[in-house]
Amino acid sequence: MTEVSSKGGALSWLRERFPASFAAARTWLRRFGILPQILSLAIIVGVFAIGTKGKYLSWANIQTILSLAAIPAIYAIGLHQTIVLGGIDLSVQGVASLCAVFVGILLKNQYNSYNVGLWIIPISLAIGGAAGVISGLLNTGLRIPSFMATLGMSWILYGMAVLIGKAVNVQILDTRIENFVSATLFGIPQIAILAVLIAVIVQMVQDRTRFGRYMYAIGGDEVIAKQAGVKVKGIKIAVFTMAGAIYGLASLLLACRLGWATSRMGAGLLFPTITAVTVGGVALTGGIGGAKNAVLGALIVTALNDGLVLMQVSPYIQQAVNGVVLIVAVALTLDRKKLGFIK
Amino acid sequence: MSDTSYGANQDTVVAVRQITKVFPGVVALDRVDLAVHKNEVVGLVGENGAGKSVLMKIMIGLEQPDEGTIVLRGEETTLRDPSDAIKNGIGMVFQDGSLLPNLSVKENLFLCHEADFRKVGILSLRAMRDAARELLKRVKLDIDVDLPVTEISPAERQMVEIARLLWLSQQYGKENPLLILDEPTTVLADAERNRLFSILQDIKKQASVILISHRLQEILENSDRIVVLKDGKNVTEIPASKAKLSRIEQLMVGHTFSADRFKEDEQATPGKVEILSVKNLSKAGLFEPLSFTVRQGEIVGLVGLVGSGKEAVCNCIAGLDKADTGDVFLGERKLPSGSPSAAVKAGIGHIPIDRRSEGLALMMSVAENVNLLVLDRLKTAGFLSPAREKKNAQYWISECQIKTPSIGTLCANLSGGNQQKTVISKWLSSRVRLLILDHPTRGVDVGAKDEIYKLIRRLAKEGIGMLIMCDTLEEDIGLANRMLVMKDGRLVKEIESSSQKKPSPQDIIGLIV
Repeated sequence: MTEVSSKGGALSWLRERFPASFAAARTWLRRFGILPQILSLAIIVGVFAIGTKGKYLSWANIQTILSLAAIPAIYAIGLHQTIVLGGIDLSVQGVASLCAVFVGILLKNQYNSYNVGLWIIPISLAIGGAAGVISGLLNTGLRIPSFMATLGMSWILYGMAVLIGKAVNVQILDTRIENFVSATLFGIPQIAILAVLIAVIVQMVQDRTRFGRYMYAIGGDEVIAKQAGVKVKGIKIAVFTMAGAIYGLASLLLACRLGWATSRMGAGLLFPTITAVTVGGVALTGGIGGAKNAVLGALIVTALNDGLVLMQVSPYIQQAVNGVVLIVAVALTLDRKKLGFIK
Repeated sequence: MSDTSYGANQDTVVAVRQITKVFPGVVALDRVDLAVHKNEVVGLVGENGAGKSVLMKIMIGLEQPDEGTIVLRGEETTLRDPSDAIKNGIGMVFQDGSLLPNLSVKENLFLCHEADFRKVGILSLRAMRDAARELLKRVKLDIDVDLPVTEISPAERQMVEIARLLWLSQQYGKENPLLILDEPTTVLADAERNRLFSILQDIKKQASVILISHRLQEILENSDRIVVLKDGKNVTEIPASKAKLSRIEQLMVGHTFSADRFKEDEQATPGKVEILSVKNLSKAGLFEPLSFTVRQGEIVGLVGLVGSGKEAVCNCIAGLDKADTGDVFLGERKLPSGSPSAAVKAGIGHIPIDRRSEGLALMMSVAENVNLLVLDRLKTAGFLSPAREKKNAQYWISECQIKTPSIGTLCANLSGGNQQKTVISKWLSSRVRLLILDHPTRGVDVGAKDEIYKLIRRLAKEGIGMLIMCDTLEEDIGLANRMLVMKDGRLVKEIESSSQKKPSPQDIIGLIV
């Protein structure tokens, strides 16, 4: 046991707060919750503000960032809960595609006479939730590791989406949700306000309900949680269901914003969502990070990409930057001691 | 043999009667009795493998006894699992702790029992905080209950666990709960240790305690009654006031072993050449600088308690851990610190305690395991030759008398003893010069133990130097030519153990504890 000398005033103050080693940096990141994310965001904003000579800070651009970050943030709010559990959910793309197809069929369109109106909201939640229940059952009942169970689910759901939607692009003629999504309230995009609202609710569930506590208990150590009396299987299934329902909602919003519903909508959603979750500070080893982290992560990734676009960086380099960001974020949040070895 | 009865009376909180537990090949507990009375601290002592942990696991429902009964407050009871045990007022503080590292103190305290703090489904953090502070007062702990448990000291974590157990049994309406503390002081510094024991005297007013510790002095000072287990049997119980350290040591070790149990007559005189020399090796927090040598064909026993630093020394020699200072020489060659592959290449073999997860690839065949380290030598024109692989495997299987249906049998399907022989043959075939044997006979039945002792003697005759850590002191003494005694990270004594002049366990145990 070492004791840090209390002498040395400012220097030791600095040393205590600004770690010198990689390991210390990790502890520091974990202890301060969202502070590192806010700092990263500040650095990104600072760099691009200078790089674009202020254009980045224009209200129009900030609106763009907020509005672009919102839907990825909602997906991340869904997905991060499964990571908090100590698992992962890779079924996002499948769920999104299937929801999109149903949105296309059930909302007013040129191909059929269905028109469920705003009932599409609970329907989307239910479709996503049902997918989540199945993933949860596969994970807890058949004891299939969550990453395999959900990866399989993703392809099953995508297959169903293509089968049902026949790869047709359906134009959505009911524009009420689209209007809501693209409107602003006091200059702030409504979709961003909705994302924040969902985050607040989920964060509240995580901090202030038994369900939330148990979610973290399982992520911390499943065996200890079980011995303490946590109904591990039930909580897991509930978390996957919640995650799925949130994807359902996000997919509805995404389809309405695009104005088109297609089975291809899910393609490419998984990577940005997982990047957002890890960049936000949710540890892949489980038990650490909440909805606030997921939202901040989505904001950071969006802010970064927006800046790169404004700076006219080649899109290929943008992709590579995202990859680097993901790996650095995982390196900083992963608790290797808990893993023993890395597969 | 016993000087008091194990009998229960009206003050008895928990009594186990005639408990027997058999694991494949080992009788872990043989008709053991234990009674704990109200407001009493019972010290439970015994060597490693004496059956203490199994008995405790049975008392908290983690294991089920094969025979015998558990009587709680006069009623015969079956404990299905730990949560069942706590409902009956029995809880255990484990050595490695059972708090969730990512949750705060207050969240850990009330985990799964948050009902009192709910208002329309929302938890009141303030109510939890207040209740947590109140609970911790009972164990004289004044800490910020919002801190994650990783930020409080080990002693404080134990206090939190104790507070949780006391509270839970109160919730279930059980008065005078039984707390089992498993080696609570191994992770504590001196000051913290004193604090724990002063609080223990307070806890005694509302609970009973079973205290397990290897530090006998602690047991003598802090318990009311001492129960000694040996080889899964009750040896005796003594009121602590009448107990003497030397007497307990003697009881723990016992003195019934036949002269040739460890093949002492086959013990060879070691050669003159030094195979291993360790110079000023140290690792902060684990062991202080120490030096020693191992000669050709010599068996050196490293003895000491778990946590005395002996395992860490071996890990540094095998390259599994990086030493802070000092050097390891194999023959003339200095080994790079912290490189297991360099150690293997130089000729250091390591047989780990947990052979099922570290020593053997269980899902590979016996032949594949035996050949694992010598694949280079089994090549023909750059490719592995199946014929030569088969020949090498068959040779070592018959040499080491590994009982296996075929050379292609998966190691997972062998008995513990034959698995261990496979591990040893793997190193033999690779022509090691120094072998580190970490509890080579753990979990192996008596017959196979005998064969493993024979193998160890043969290895010595072939000039292989060995560092061994055994399950019991007797085994160490029996096998070793020389013993190094470690305590609290220091090498405290070197003891000759030639076949004519074996020291007695009593001589050594005083140095260890």
